[in-house]
Amino acid sequence: MPVIDVNNVSKSFGSTHAVRNVSFQTEMGRIFGLLGPNGAGKTTMLRMINYIISPDQGTIRINDTPVGSNTQRWIGYLPEERGLYKKMKVGEQLLYLAQLKGLSEKDSRERIRYWLDRFGAIDWVTKEVGELSKGMSQKIQFIATIVHDPDIYIFDEPFSGLDPINSELLKEVILELRSQGKAILFSTHRMEQVEQMCDDICLFNNGRAVLTGNLREIKQSHGENTVILEFQGNSDFLDRLENVRINNRSTNFAEIRILEGTTPRQILQQAMDQAEVQRFQMVEPSLTEIFITTVGEDNINPKELV
Amino acid sequence: MNFRQVFLVLKREFMTRAKSKAFIISTLLIPFGFVAYLALIIGIQFWESQPERQIALVDQSGVLAERIIQLNEERYIDLSAEEIESVREDVMNHNLDGYIVLGEEHILGETRPELIYSGSISITLISGIRSDLREAIREERLARAEVTREVREIFESTVSLESRKLTVTGEEEEDHAEFYSIVGMLLGVVIFTALFMYGSIIMRGVIEEKSNRIIEVIASSIKPIELLTGKILGITALAVTQFVIWTGLIVAISMAAAPIAALIAGDAATAGAAEMEGIDMAGFEIPAIPLSILVAFFFFFVLGYFLYSALFAAIGSAVDSESDTQMLMMPVFIPIFIGFMLNFEVIQNPDSVLSVIGSLIPFTSPINMVSRIAIGTVPAWQLIVSVLLLLLTILGTMMLSARIYRVGILQYGSKAGFKDLARWFRQK
Repeated sequence: MPVIDVNNVSKSFGSTHAVRNVSFQTEMGRIFGLLGPNGAGKTTMLRMINYIISPDQGTIRINDTPVGSNTQRWIGYLPEERGLYKKMKVGEQLLYLAQLKGLSEKDSRERIRYWLDRFGAIDWVTKEVGELSKGMSQKIQFIATIVHDPDIYIFDEPFSGLDPINSELLKEVILELRSQGKAILFSTHRMEQVEQMCDDICLFNNGRAVLTGNLREIKQSHGENTVILEFQGNSDFLDRLENVRINNRSTNFAEIRILEGTTPRQILQQAMDQAEVQRFQMVEPSLTEIFITTVGEDNINPKELV
Repeated sequence: MNFRQVFLVLKREFMTRAKSKAFIISTLLIPFGFVAYLALIIGIQFWESQPERQIALVDQSGVLAERIIQLNEERYIDLSAEEIESVREDVMNHNLDGYIVLGEEHILGETRPELIYSGSISITLISGIRSDLREAIREERLARAEVTREVREIFESTVSLESRKLTVTGEEEEDHAEFYSIVGMLLGVVIFTALFMYGSIIMRGVIEEKSNRIIEVIASSIKPIELLTGKILGITALAVTQFVIWTGLIVAISMAAAPIAALIAGDAATAGAAEMEGIDMAGFEIPAIPLSILVAFFFFFVLGYFLYSALFAAIGSAVDSESDTQMLMMPVFIPIFIGFMLNFEVIQNPDSVLSVIGSLIPFTSPINMVSRIAIGTVPAWQLIVSVLLLLLTILGTMMLSARIYRVGILQYGSKAGFKDLARWFRQK
């Protein structure tokens, strides 16, 4: 049974169709990645799942219950626009947020203590959030998200604005939650994060879910149609290649998608004519490549895919 | 609506503010300031009455000076024997405050006497001198006309008016119409100020949650209407707490200050003089205000606050910073201000059509009804209609505001206008 079941959901703001006929499901013990460029409708989708705004059409069910005040308690949500009360003490603030999620005062205190301890933040309990450094308050924000020990975790662009240490910490926490069998849904516009962590994905573009499914299966279905090339020397030959799309290029590296009308052999030949080839490998396409293939080159702004 | 959630919000809104230094200081200091202000006003009047101005009389008729001095020995001095030039010089040098040359022609009413003064002189003093002159001249003329004792008594008699109010039960009450008019005006001003003061607090709170970017975390835990209700009740609790403390402290300070004030006022003679000047020494104490007026004050303040705070919160939800609120504030500011202006009419004519309308219309009634209750008796049906209309309108503004609020809190960046608010209201 799916944990989050989004069925044919649409949402408009005035004349803007933020989300159009989107359906997908997430399961326990898996990480689900919602990805797509900025403005694709990801945040609107997550807000609807969190019962912050209501869909115009379609249904969203969590554990077979229509979203509502009850389902909010089963979710730990880290919004993209996040923050804390600056003038409130760390301990009081976490207590307030945990109680709003339905925890008793006693349970809240225990859990707050556990997580503060684990993140090495127990000394901050009586500090006001305004006094904390950015990294410190990010940690407090994580704790606020997970303190009520929900079964479902939703993170909206969780890594944006995080310092490297906290990025690593959050990744660790997310993977740990998966191993505990929790359901995790996060959105991002950074494809490599999805490739590293996600089991399932849903690709968003212009409010539509253009590709949904198991990440490994999706990649396999595209076949090994991409060349990873590492070389020393002149890279001019890359510009002369025909019927290819070069996605990731640096002075001595290129990720080349082979299109109709050319073969790996031709590429290797041209490379060897001009440069010293150090690595030549056929691989499955990257997610960026899959995304471009799916929505078509003309339909996206490449700058939005980093 | 889940009342546990509402209560959690209420508690946070109340506690974080009640524990703040600004709140504690203002709660404790304002009553002292208020009493000090009252004491200052009374003190000024009191001290002002002390140094009597010296007015010289240069009497050429030979009969008026004596009569005038009899009326106020401290104020007037008979310098008829002196040269006018030297009296004039004394006035110029401020040894005297002024002089009046009196003669036969004044008794006959042919010309008007003139007061020549230096420095500054108050209207009160001038009218005092005028009435002294009038009385002295009148007496002199009566004496010359050799009117009978009866006629003279008629002129000497003064008429004063005392008012007593007839209550519904047919009893006559000691009337303090003037005092209660002042109380009514004061309470109206207090409610007017408080609506803005606590309204801004809630508005700032909403803006703060938006600009801190915590609002979405909260919105994923609780319904907007619960959050809004909790915030309004929290600030209401704060306001009531503050008013109760203020009322208590003002009474306590005044009671403690009364004996001290009496000491300063000195011996009975000066106290008596002060009383003659129309200052009641009991004015140092807060006179007993009937409990019913206080109850009405709190009741209408709370209802008025419910009415307006929801609107303030909606405005707060529509902006990113306080400086963007001005245009949106107009529809809230205008009705409160109308209520304030109407209150001048209410004080003058508490039962006029305008006053009754003002005290029935929900947007002005929290101010005008309280003033009417303080001043006079309000018919029961008007009270009931007023409260019912107010309650209905509160429901309306709460629903209106909640719909705007729930959308507004998630909007960032663009500056919202009334069109946007209307669109948010319609949004599903």
